[in-house]
Amino acid sequence: MSVSELIRWIVSLLLKPYVFAPIFFPGIATAFILILLLIWLERKIAAKVQLRYGPLYVSKRFGGILQLVADLLRYLFQEPIIPKNADKIVFILGPILLFGTAYIPTALIPVSGSFVPFRSEVSLLVVIALLSISPLFDLVIGWASNNKFSLIGGLREGYIIVSYEIPLFISTIAIAMLYGTLDLVEIAGQNKWGVLLNPIAALVFLIVTYMSTARFPFEIAEAESEIVMGPYTEYSGILYGLTMGASYVKMYVLSLLFTILFLGGWNPVFWPFTLHPILPGLIMLAKALVVMVIGIFLRAVYPRYRIDHALSIGWKLLLTLSFLAVCYSLLITYLQVVVWV
Amino acid sequence: MLQPTHYIPTGGGMGVISAVEGHVRALLTGLKYLVTKPRITILYPEQAEELPQGYRGMPVYHKDKCISCSLCANICPANAMKMVKIGKKKYPSINYNRCIFCGFCVDICPAGALEYSPVHDYASYNLEELEFSPEKFAEGPPEPPFKPEILRIETDEEVGLKYVHPKS
Repeated sequence: MSVSELIRWIVSLLLKPYVFAPIFFPGIATAFILILLLIWLERKIAAKVQLRYGPLYVSKRFGGILQLVADLLRYLFQEPIIPKNADKIVFILGPILLFGTAYIPTALIPVSGSFVPFRSEVSLLVVIALLSISPLFDLVIGWASNNKFSLIGGLREGYIIVSYEIPLFISTIAIAMLYGTLDLVEIAGQNKWGVLLNPIAALVFLIVTYMSTARFPFEIAEAESEIVMGPYTEYSGILYGLTMGASYVKMYVLSLLFTILFLGGWNPVFWPFTLHPILPGLIMLAKALVVMVIGIFLRAVYPRYRIDHALSIGWKLLLTLSFLAVCYSLLITYLQVVVWV
Repeated sequence: MLQPTHYIPTGGGMGVISAVEGHVRALLTGLKYLVTKPRITILYPEQAEELPQGYRGMPVYHKDKCISCSLCANICPANAMKMVKIGKKKYPSINYNRCIFCGFCVDICPAGALEYSPVHDYASYNLEELEFSPEKFAEGPPEPPFKPEILRIETDEEVGLKYVHPKS
């Protein structure tokens, strides 16, 4: 095999959906760039609301947008300190698995009707199942750090996980009922705006998105002013960078899912004709970016809930609302089938 | 004006309505500040506040006026000033690792050999550079690397704090 054939083979392999999607878009490369952009935007928005300037001096002409690149370099070259009494293997593997499992669901999330890496009849259920893996590593690293703040943070995370996972699942089922399928490609292909079909499910899913990714006012597991940095207290260097990035990656994944379920996926807002196969992904990314920017804007507005407040929101408010969403979906389906037919 | 709303998640009826209202108000207030202009901080190394008269910055030492009485070293509450013997007489040295800029040394000096300077911003690469020997102390406070634009603080009804040019 000659060199040119080899290069052509590698390029064609990289452009295959099942390689391109997890690695480039919507996978790790896009997630990585978005983390850098989102954290900068978060600091900038919080600064603007609080009448400050925010990061500015790294690339001053562009408003300090390269600040996070500088931070990343610092994390890369900082020595990761492993505490003497920590469970070393789990301590090192924890953040890696936390970050890795957070972005795995992107392998199943389609970004256009024709460019799908892994199509399944139950891809919605698989995405929800994969999403519930990564928070468990918060518990694991909270235990492995051998630090009381880490343990308290990990336990808080554990309480919050069980209070949001059930409303997340039920609200997803509520909206999937209206689409009549669990295949994400078909759901987005129907081009119905789920936020209009079932606003209750959309509200629950949105709150759960921010709750599960430690956005304010649910940043309870980390709670810098109470328990140092929660489960991540003992981490430094690039291992800390991974733990910090993990929640943003999870927010990215959940925002993509929110876009498919409730915002019409890759279909343009006011432009009904079909597009080039790459462009639908950009439209979907733009919609997901709006969801993410709302999430990071909340940091500037809200204080932090107490853990019992957050739990009662999860169990009393969100669970009730998600059941209401199911009833609403049932009612609409009943009206469609019985009354209008 | 905005009234504080106490959100109790367990409440029902009117509690829910006032809670939703409170959330909407909070978000709208945040949005208002996001899009409006005011900022109450300045770009510090390039701009700086106008300092008031008698600002207690790094002290200036006039070696020719010094009578070697050691009062400054005695009064120093942070033990930053130490007398160093040069020839037959003792002269004060100052360690800016310890100095708390209280100005007691300036106040107690009977000969007027110490006085305030407005310089308060100084950085060094290591701790040793912050220990000033009598000779280095006598050279005066180090010059800032570049001249900042001086701004004056004014209170403003709408914004709170406002920075204006002293000339205007």
